[in-house]
Amino acid sequence: MSGFLAAHGYDPGPTQRPFTAGAIAGLLATPPAILLLHLLRSLAVEARILGLPVILTIVAGCVAMAVAGALYARLLGRAANDVRGGWLFGMAFGFALWAAGAVFVLPLLGNGELPAGPPATGVFLSLILWGGCLGALLPFIQRRTHLKVDEPGVAENLGPTLAARDPAKR
Amino acid sequence: MIRIVSLRKAALAGLCGALAWTAVLGGLQFLGLRSFDIVKELGTLAFASDEPLRWGAVGLVAHGFVGICWALVYAYFFWSRVNWPPALQGLAFSIVPAMLALFIVNPQFELMHLHRDAVPLTWDTVLPSLSLAQLGGLLLGHAIYGVAVGAIYTRPLGYGAKREGRVPRSVPRAANKPRDGRQAGRGFMFATGIECSYPTIEHGRWRRDEMAATRHYARWQDDFELALDIGITHIRYGPPLHLILKGPGSYDWGFVDEALAYLHDHGPEPIVDLCHFGVPSWLGDFQNPEIARALADYAGAFAARFPWVRFYTPVNEMYVCARMSALDGTWNEQRRDERAFAHAAFNLARASIAMTDAILAVRADAIFVNSESSEFCQACCPEPEIQRIARFENERRFLPLDLIYAHPIGDDMRAHLHDHGFADADIAGVMAHEVPARSIIGVDYYEWNERLIDSDGHARALGELFGWYVIASQYYDRYKRPMMHTETNRMDASDGPRWLWRQWHNVQLLRSAGVPLVGFTWYSLTDQVDWDIGLSKAVGNVDPVGLADLNRDIRAVGLTYRRLIEMHKDQPGYTDCPALAGLLAS
Repeated sequence: MSGFLAAHGYDPGPTQRPFTAGAIAGLLATPPAILLLHLLRSLAVEARILGLPVILTIVAGCVAMAVAGALYARLLGRAANDVRGGWLFGMAFGFALWAAGAVFVLPLLGNGELPAGPPATGVFLSLILWGGCLGALLPFIQRRTHLKVDEPGVAENLGPTLAARDPAKR
Repeated sequence: MIRIVSLRKAALAGLCGALAWTAVLGGLQFLGLRSFDIVKELGTLAFASDEPLRWGAVGLVAHGFVGICWALVYAYFFWSRVNWPPALQGLAFSIVPAMLALFIVNPQFELMHLHRDAVPLTWDTVLPSLSLAQLGGLLLGHAIYGVAVGAIYTRPLGYGAKREGRVPRSVPRAANKPRDGRQAGRGFMFATGIECSYPTIEHGRWRRDEMAATRHYARWQDDFELALDIGITHIRYGPPLHLILKGPGSYDWGFVDEALAYLHDHGPEPIVDLCHFGVPSWLGDFQNPEIARALADYAGAFAARFPWVRFYTPVNEMYVCARMSALDGTWNEQRRDERAFAHAAFNLARASIAMTDAILAVRADAIFVNSESSEFCQACCPEPEIQRIARFENERRFLPLDLIYAHPIGDDMRAHLHDHGFADADIAGVMAHEVPARSIIGVDYYEWNERLIDSDGHARALGELFGWYVIASQYYDRYKRPMMHTETNRMDASDGPRWLWRQWHNVQLLRSAGVPLVGFTWYSLTDQVDWDIGLSKAVGNVDPVGLADLNRDIRAVGLTYRRLIEMHKDQPGYTDCPALAGLLAS
């Protein structure tokens, strides 16, 4: 996968910090999603299904969303830095998380219940909203977290001996 | 960036697809065939089913929005992956949202419509539970949507050649960092370029415009600043001829004034490329013998407007341009015959000579970088016919340069030209001019430039067999003029740094062999678009060949080039390049 993405030019390279930028973007995208969860009573229902207090559910959600954001940024690499398409890629990632997480993982982690009614709508919409915010924010955060080209060590492994490298090695 | 996508076209396609779905299934419902009502499914998530106006409005808006999002997904990830008719591509794509709707979304929607906050997890809650009519409606709706999206979303970039507009305008912002400005120096040229090809395809109806595709018109200042950050000293730069030259003596300079002013004040020094694989629509194509006069007028006007510009490439890669336009049937006139190729090659050479003269009339000390693609064909086997094809192709590659440098044409090539309507007097007529002393041969090199003539007589890409050193030496031996490595890159971005160093070692070896070499170029500054298919179709594939990607984030090869420049720029022979100094003294 990483070789495929590298060949297609999505490899972030030595200046970018996708994990950091993704985690920050994931975290920053979480408050609007939490607000939506709260408005549609999803937060209370999720907390009940997970058997956690609401505040702990929020904390766990923030951690999970930061990790998910980091994963998103690393998986998409340079493609995630696209200002025009980022929101769409993020929404697609949010949709995938919903399909995999809210539909399958949440019931397995909890007491065997699924959200229904408006809370179920809230879970769906909040993940789409989170993904959209993540994808829209990431390009701007990436610009502030990447290393400068003249920073020491950035081009450390890019010297003339690369000419002798086996091209099959990434 | 994954793709160059037309957001407007994709949004229109998605909206039309959603409306077509709603109209057809609504019509069926009106006729009494009850099926899957997506508008109601979405609308009743927000409003009760006894408020049809409200849920109808919300459902329609939501359906339209979802339709737009899926069309964008289609545009980014699916469109043109297979070589099928557009509507069929859309139909195939619609299987993805249809399956997601069937197995994931619809069961969840059923849960969302319940008047409870949670339900126990059972198979019934997660498996689809549609009637046959609903299932048919869902699949039919997606199929209609897919066909509509596929049919509408085509040609996401470029524009109709008859509707060519004005050169974009732009107001420069203050430079981020003050720079030294144009260096009228004699140092070795560490160059890059802004990809600027503008051929037409579809028999002259559709214009490719790489500067638009790579967003250079909007981000030219970012591009120049990025080049300076890397340490680039010279930039190959081709203003959009097809937009500037409006008619005989009529020019629209647009942002070019500001862009050139920036290069003058801050650098890098431009090597201005005046004709790059295309001409304005009113000039037709390269079969038109009048292009020489029109382009000469343009070159003269350019030189008069920007008298400080020292370096010019009158016509870029004449051989490639003639071949792709008149022999391979890909661009412009899209012919596939030897006679058309010879006419294109002669017209391009005449244009180059006339443009050179026009520039010299304004600036007598101008320097010309005549870039050409390095080509080499190796016969696979000793059969005389295979040997003859390889020998002929190895002569053909020199034809345009032979004409502009007034070098004697080989016997095989001369006989070939006679067969296709060119007499010795025609050849002598083109060659009857004084070749400027300040001329540099630019030799471009890519991994596909070396070809094997197989036992069927077909050319196959050979990869890097002999390398730039050997092939560039052949060009030097023929013309004995100062040289420059004017283009190279690598489609596999992860291999870019290795390729860069290997090309650089070729350059060093040729310098040490006594060939006067004035510069090296990684082409281009940013990624390019659709060069993996030779610009033959407007698809929007991003080729990761740039020193930076299309977000203007530097790639590993950009960092490598920066390191290479820092390592060499202050070395003897590079700060004051003897080959360039010798040329300037001539």
